[in-house]
Amino acid sequence: MGHFDRTLAYIKALQDADTPDAVCQKLLEVTSAFGLTALMAGTVPQPGTPGGKQKDHVLLCDWPGEWLERYVARNYVDHDPVVSRMKQLQAPFQWREAAQEIKPDRDGEIVMGDAGEFKLKDGLAFPLVTVDGRIVMVSLGGEQVEMSGLEFGMISLVSTFAIGRAMQLHTGAVKTIDHVELTPRERECLKWAAAGKSEWEISQILGISEHTSEKHLLNAKTKLGAVNRVQAVAEAIRRGYI
Amino acid sequence: MLYALTTEELMDRPDLWEAVHRLRHSIFVQEMGWSDLYRDDGLEIDQFDHDEAVHHIVIRNGELAGYQRMLPTTRPHLLTEVLTDLFVGDPPSGPNVWELTRYAVAANYRDGRRGVSTVGTELIAGFVEWGLPRGVNQVIIEFEPMWVLRALQLHFLARPLGYQRTYGRQQVVATLLTFNEKTLEVVRERRAHHAPVLSRGYPELLGQRQAS
Repeated sequence: MGHFDRTLAYIKALQDADTPDAVCQKLLEVTSAFGLTALMAGTVPQPGTPGGKQKDHVLLCDWPGEWLERYVARNYVDHDPVVSRMKQLQAPFQWREAAQEIKPDRDGEIVMGDAGEFKLKDGLAFPLVTVDGRIVMVSLGGEQVEMSGLEFGMISLVSTFAIGRAMQLHTGAVKTIDHVELTPRERECLKWAAAGKSEWEISQILGISEHTSEKHLLNAKTKLGAVNRVQAVAEAIRRGYI
Repeated sequence: MLYALTTEELMDRPDLWEAVHRLRHSIFVQEMGWSDLYRDDGLEIDQFDHDEAVHHIVIRNGELAGYQRMLPTTRPHLLTEVLTDLFVGDPPSGPNVWELTRYAVAANYRDGRRGVSTVGTELIAGFVEWGLPRGVNQVIIEFEPMWVLRALQLHFLARPLGYQRTYGRQQVVATLLTFNEKTLEVVRERRAHHAPVLSRGYPELLGQRQAS
C-alpha cells in the first residue's frame, strides 16, 4: 500500500468511529508511530475562565491526567506559548518553534518545562476555525517526536478529519436543529400579515373565517417563538419561510 | 440571491463580467498572492473561463458580493492542468463531478467574523442546490485544510485527493466533497434560512439597489 493510500485508510477508519473515545484512540494509533502519544483538542476558553468551566471546552482528550489537573489548577492556558501561537491562527507548527518565540516570558517557560515532566517534550499544534467562527485548538505531544515534512502534513490532515468527526458526534449528541415546520395556510396568513392585512382582511382574501385566520397566525407565532405578530412576521422573513 | 450563468450569459452582461473578473483579481492575486494570475488591467481571466464553465454569482445591495466557478471534470480543469501536484493516482471525473474554483467573498461581505459569512454559506447552499437536480453530487475543491473541518460540520463526506501544498500565502489541499439532500438540509439549518437561494432569472444591472 502506498503512503497516501495508508493516509486514506486512516481517514476512513476515523470517519467510521462512532464515539469520541474511538476517534481519539484511532488518531493516536496513527500518530504514536511518530512519537505523538498524547492528544488534546478543544475550543478556546476566554482568558480567566474558571477551571471548572475549562473542561467543558474539551472535544478530544487523551492527556496525562495529572498534567491536565495541574494545567487547569495553575491556569496555564493563559501562559502557554503553544496556545498563544495558535491564537494567531497560523498554519500547523511544532511546539519547539512556539517555545523559541517566547523566550522573554518566564511563565511560558514554566509551562513548557512542566510539560516535559509529564513526558510531553515536543509536539505539533494547529488551530482550526469552525463554520460559526469558533477556534478549535489541536495539540499532539510526546517524549520523542520524529517526523519528516511529509509526515507532518499527513498528521495535521488526518487530525483535521478526527476533529471533524468528533464535532459531528458532538452535535449529534446534543442536537440543536432549529427548524420550524409551518403549514401552507400558516405561511399564507403570515405573508398577508406581512403585507399589512388585518385578520379580518386575511379571512376575506383566503375565504376562511376570521377566527380561523386568527388561529393560523397564533399557531405560527407560537412555533416561531415570537411574542407578537410583528415579531412572528419578522422571524418568518429572516428564516426565509415567507 | 444566487444566479448561475454560463460564460456566454455572463459575457452578455458587461457590467457583471467586469465585476466578476475584478473581484477575482483583487482576491486571488492581491490578497492571496497567486502572482501567476496577475494582469495589468486588474481582471483575472484564465483558460477555464470557457463555454462550459458555470459562474455562480451572489448579488447583495446591487453589488457583486460572492462568486464561484464550476467546471466540468469531463474536460481539462484546474486540478488536471495546473494543480497537478495536489493529487495522487487518478483524480475523480465524470458528469456527476464538477470542480469548484475561485470561491470568493467580497471584502465588504465577510461580516467581520472569523467564521463563514452569510454570503459564504449562500455560495455553499448554492452549489449544492444547483448540483442535486442536475445529477451532480460531488465537487472537487482545492481549499485550505481548515475547510475540511467546516465541510464535515456541514455534513459533506470529504476525501482528500493528495497532500497539502503551499501556494502563494496559503496551504491548499484538493478534496472531493460528496453531498446529498441531507447536506442541503444541514447547510440550510446552519444558515437559519430554508428558502432556495438559486434564482431562475438574471440579476438586475449592478448599482440598482433593491429594497431588501
